Amino acid sequence: MIELTEISKHYIIGKEKLKAADNVNLKVEKGDFLSIVGHSGSGKTTLLSIVGALTKPDIGTVKINGTNLWSISDNELSELRNKLMNFIFQFSSLIPTLTVLENVLLPTAFSKERINRNDYAMALLDMVRIQDKANMYPSQLSGGQQRRVAIARAFINEPAIVLADEPTGDLDEETEAEIMTLFRKMNEDKGVTFLLVTHSSEIAKQCKKIYRMTHGILKPL
Amino acid sequence: MNISINTIAQNNLRRKIFRSIAIAGAVMVVSATLFSITTVMDSVELSLKRSIQRLGADIMVVPKGSEVKAKASLLSGEPTEFYMDNTIEDRIKKIKGVKQTAVQLYLLTSKYRCCDVGEMLMIGFDPKNDFTIMPWLTESLKRDIKDDEAIMGRAITAFQVGSSVTAYGRVFKIVGMIEQTGMKFIDTSMFLPMDGVRKAIEESKNKGNKTVNIPENKISTVLVQVTPDMPPSRVAIFIEYDIPGVTAIVSEEVISTVRKQLFILLKSVLSISVLLWVMAIFLIGLVFSMIVNERRREIGLLRAMGAKKKDIFQLIMTEASILSVIGGLAGIVLGGSFLFFFKDFIRSSLNIPYLWPEMLQFALLIYLTLLLSLLTGAIAAFYPAVRSMKMEPYAAIRKGE
Repeated sequence: MIELTEISKHYIIGKEKLKAADNVNLKVEKGDFLSIVGHSGSGKTTLLSIVGALTKPDIGTVKINGTNLWSISDNELSELRNKLMNFIFQFSSLIPTLTVLENVLLPTAFSKERINRNDYAMALLDMVRIQDKANMYPSQLSGGQQRRVAIARAFINEPAIVLADEPTGDLDEETEAEIMTLFRKMNEDKGVTFLLVTHSSEIAKQCKKIYRMTHGILKPL
Repeated sequence: MNISINTIAQNNLRRKIFRSIAIAGAVMVVSATLFSITTVMDSVELSLKRSIQRLGADIMVVPKGSEVKAKASLLSGEPTEFYMDNTIEDRIKKIKGVKQTAVQLYLLTSKYRCCDVGEMLMIGFDPKNDFTIMPWLTESLKRDIKDDEAIMGRAITAFQVGSSVTAYGRVFKIVGMIEQTGMKFIDTSMFLPMDGVRKAIEESKNKGNKTVNIPENKISTVLVQVTPDMPPSRVAIFIEYDIPGVTAIVSEEVISTVRKQLFILLKSVLSISVLLWVMAIFLIGLVFSMIVNERRREIGLLRAMGAKKKDIFQLIMTEASILSVIGGLAGIVLGGSFLFFFKDFIRSSLNIPYLWPEMLQFALLIYLTLLLSLLTGAIAAFYPAVRSMKMEPYAAIRKGE
C-alpha cells in the first residue's frame, strides 16, 4: 500500500546540515497498524509528512497503491490526500473560526462528492465522547478535547490511511486508552491502515509493527 | 450542514470582526469618495451639456459692460437687468451666419411691492420668433400664448398651471411649465409674452405698487442661432465688429470655460481620490499579507486535508471580495447620502446649472463603483493569495508553529 524507497531529506539549520530522513525504506501493507518511535528531532514527523505528501523528499520515491506521489499533479495529490489519507497532528490543528462540528466536517469541503456527512460527523464526535460540544468553538475546549475533535475529523472522509503524529500526546491515560481502542477498532473493523509516530513505548507496544527512528535512520524493532 | 470555502471565509471574517470592519472601512472611504466625485463630475458634464442644448441659442448678444451680469444670470440664475435698443435685432439679422434671432426683456420682480413672488426674473419673449421657451413646455400649448398668460420655470413650485400670478398689478394666468433644466436662469424665471410685459410695465404706473420705467424700444438680449456652416465664435466676432456697444457671448465658450475651471478642481480631487485608492490597495495588501503569515499553519492544515492550491487562493480572494463588496456598498450609501444631504451646498458651491445624472447613468456609476471596490480587494489580496497557495504544506505548518 505504502512504499518508501531510499528516502532522504535534510534541512539546513544555520550552517549545520540536519538529516531528517537518511535512506529510509519502508513498506506498509493495507490494514497495518504500525508505529515509529524515536526521540524529538529524530525525523519521525518529517517522515510522516513525506508519506502524506506534505513535503517532497530530496531523494527517493514514495508510492501509494503503486502511484509515485511526486509524479502526479498537485491537484491529484490534493485529491489523494483528501480521499485516501488523513492526518492527526501533535499540535492543536483545529480552525479557531469554525465550530467543533464544522471542524470535523472540514475535509468534506474539499471533496468532489458533496455528500451531507452531518450524521456521520455527530457519530464520530460521539465516539470520541464530545458530541455535546458540537457547536462550541475550539477556544472553549480543553487541549484534550481539541485533540479528540482532531481525531474525529481524521475519520470523516473514511480514509484508508491515518497518519498520526503523537495522537495521544496530551491526553490522560484513560482517554489515551479509549483512543487507542478506537484506532484498533477502525483498523480491525474497517481495515484502516495506521501509521503512528510516538515517543511513547506504551503506545508503540499496542501496534502490530514497531520501527525506531534515530537521526533519520529507520530500523524495525 | 455543508461546509464550503465560502463558509470558512465568512467565519474567518466574522471572528475577526474589527479587522474586517477596518478593511471594509478602507474600501468604503475610497468608494464613497470616488462615487461622489464621479457623480458630481458626471452631473456637471450633463448639466453643462443640457444647458447649451436648453438655451437653444449659440450666441447671446447683450449691452457692452453687461457680460459679467449676463454670464452670472445664465450660469447661476442671478436675477439681473440690463437694456439696449431693440433695433439691434434687425442689425444682427443682417449679419452673415445668423440663422435666427429672438429678443428677450428682463424685468425683476420684488416681493410685497409689486408682485406675488419674491425677487425673480420675469423674461419677456416674442412668441412669434421664439425658439428657446415654447419648445420646452412640459405639455404643448397647441395655440399662441396670450398677453395675459405666463409660463413658469419648473423650480417655482408655488404656482401650478391654471393658477394666477400678479406682477406689477397685472394678473397673468399660468398656462404652462418648462421642463426642469438645472439652469436656475430658466428654472426659476417666469416667462411672459413681450406684449404682456409691455402692458405690465404700462399698468405699473396706475395699478402697481412699484412703477417700472423701461422705454418701449428697449430689450435686454438678442439670442442668436447661427447657420450650420459658420462657427458661433466667428459670427460673434462679426456681430461685435458690425454693431458697436454690444457684446456677443458664445454659449459654448461660457460653458466650456466653466467646465474647464470646474474640471481642473474636480480632477484634482479625483487625483487625490485615486492616490487614496492606491494607498488603500497597498494597505489592504499589507493587511492580507499579515493575515496569510498569521494563518500559515491553517493554510498548511487545509492543504493536508485535501485543499487544492486553487482552494487556498479562492479562500483568500473570497475574504477580500466579501469585504470589498461590503465596503463598496457602504461607500455608495455613504457617498450617496453625502450627495443627497449636501445637494444644495454642492449646487451653491459649484454655482452652475446642476442636474443629477439620469437613472441609467446613476446605475452605471453604482455598478462601476462596486466593480472598482471589488477590484480594490482583488488587487490587494492577489499577491498574498498567490503566496499562500504556493506554500509547501509541511513548511507552512512548521513555520506557523
